[in-house]
This record gives sequence, structure tokens and C-alpha cells, in this order.
Amino acid sequence: MWEALEQTAWVKTLGTTGWMYSTVSVTHYLTMFWFIGSVAVVDLRVMGLAARRRSLAELAEQLFPWAWIGFAFAVLSGFLMFATDAGDWAPSKVFHVKLTLIAVSAVFAFIIQRGARKWALDPEVPRAAKIIALISLLLWVATILSASEIPALEGLG
Amino acid sequence: MHDTLVAFAKWLEGTPWGLMTRESIWAYPFVQLIHFTGLSIWLGTNFALDLRLLGVGSRRATAAQVAEELFAWNWIGFAIVLTGGFMLFSGIATAFIANIAFQWKLGLFVPLALTWHVLVQRKARVWGKTTETPGIARFAAITEILLWVCVITAAVEIPNH
Repeated sequence: MWEALEQTAWVKTLGTTGWMYSTVSVTHYLTMFWFIGSVAVVDLRVMGLAARRRSLAELAEQLFPWAWIGFAFAVLSGFLMFATDAGDWAPSKVFHVKLTLIAVSAVFAFIIQRGARKWALDPEVPRAAKIIALISLLLWVATILSASEIPALEGLG
Repeated sequence: MHDTLVAFAKWLEGTPWGLMTRESIWAYPFVQLIHFTGLSIWLGTNFALDLRLLGVGSRRATAAQVAEELFAWNWIGFAIVLTGGFMLFSGIATAFIANIAFQWKLGLFVPLALTWHVLVQRKARVWGKTTETPGIARFAAITEILLWVCVITAAVEIPNH
């Protein structure tokens, strides 16, 4: 199935046309940094380490819509990069770890976004929220690390 | 000049951090992690300000307020990027200085860092006092976003040269 995807005409064109593949890679890196950075700032705000003078609800409202647009583009471009070499990527264990970490991190980002409105009503952000934000931050660090380990451990990418 | 640069690159490759980045299969991903974590924080905070200068998205805070509240993490992100980038560079410095895409990347990084410095450090607080930002602020924000795209493009091209 993955081999078939790799052999599809448009995937082959994408994989063999330098500027097309570069454009997809640039989109992937840029939107990925954008998403992670935006979520990280809100995480830091929840933990009381950034933008303390700004209301948490307002900061989340400003950053999250863009973060999710970035996320959508990162997933789309990531899938395109995967497709060009799908047969090799699909069985990669570290890649599975990366995808799992992305999914869990995205769920945490969603929890933070929903929680931000609620937590902002309290005079002090609840301790449980700070722990969730810390886990969210650490999950992103783990996600980036797993992505960097793929070429090191499995020679892909 | 060129000889000095090559000598410097060779020296960097022989430093403990240069050796570690190049030769340890375990160290390289961690150094890349430093670089990418810094990039996320730097680019994330930088884009938040640029978008507010452009006037898109939530306008409850002024651009001056956004610049002020993200200021510390913008700088922290930048410092982490430089640290990770310097370590990555030290690993194979001689190959990097001979790489045309890397030369472009560094060349484009200078105007990006300058635009960023002028915007974040100074102008956002002047141009961003009111809800509506002046045309020059929007122009600067667009320029900065485009420079980001250019620098990342050059970075992506490094392995192809």
C-alpha cells in the first residue's frame, strides 16, 4: 500500500522535482516552528514564566488560531514528504514514536487552549494546569528529539 | 581572509563540542534539538508580533504590548538558536563555509536579524501604540516574514549542495 503511494504519478513528480520538494520542506519546517513556538509561549504563560501582565485567556486567543493553521500546514507538508518515500518511512519504529508524540502533544495543546479560558477566571492559575503545561512543553521537546533521531538511528530523511 | 576563515573552521572542528557533534551518533540529534527548540521559540514569538503589526488576528492587545510581553522569550529563543547553530556549525565547519547554500543562509540571516532587532527592540513600541498600525509597520512585518522564508529555504538547500 505504501509502495503504491510512493509510485503514484504526482508523488513521483514531487519527489523528483527539486524546487517542489524544497517548497514542501520549507513549509514543513516553518509551520512546525510556528506551531510549537506559539503553543510553547502559552505553556510558559500558564506556568507563570512568560507575559505575566497579559491575561492568559487573551494570549491564548491571540496565538492559538494561528498555531492550528500552522499545525494543519505542518501535517499536510509532512504527509507529502512521507509520501515520496513512504515504503521506507512506514515501517520505521522511530517514525512511529514521532507520530505518536505529535498526536499526544496536539491533544495537550487542545487541552491547554480549552483550559486557558477557564483558568484565567481564577486569581492564580491552578497547580494542575501548570503541570499540564509543563508536560505539554516536554512533549514538544521529545517530539523534536524523536524527529532528529530518525536520520541518526535509521538513516532516513 | 579566506585562509583565516578556513583555519578558524578547522580549529572549530577540533574543539570538544565540534568533535562531539560530528562523531557521536547520540550528540548530533541533541544539538539539533537545541537549534530547533530555539527556532520554535524565536520564530513563534517573532511571527506573533509580525501578525499583530499586520493587524490580522486578535487585536485586543496593541503591537507595542505584544512586543513588550514576548520580548524576553524572543531573546531567549534567539540565544538558543545561536548556541545550537554554532555547535552544529562547529561539527563540519570546513564543509559549511564551502557550501553555497550555507553562505546564502548566513548572508540572509544578517538582514533578518537586523530587521528583527529594529522591529522588536525599537520600532514595534513606536508604531504599535495604536490599534491600527502604520503602513511602514506592515511593510516591515511582511519583510521579516519573507526573510524567514528565505533563510529557511537556504537551510533546506544545504544538503543539496
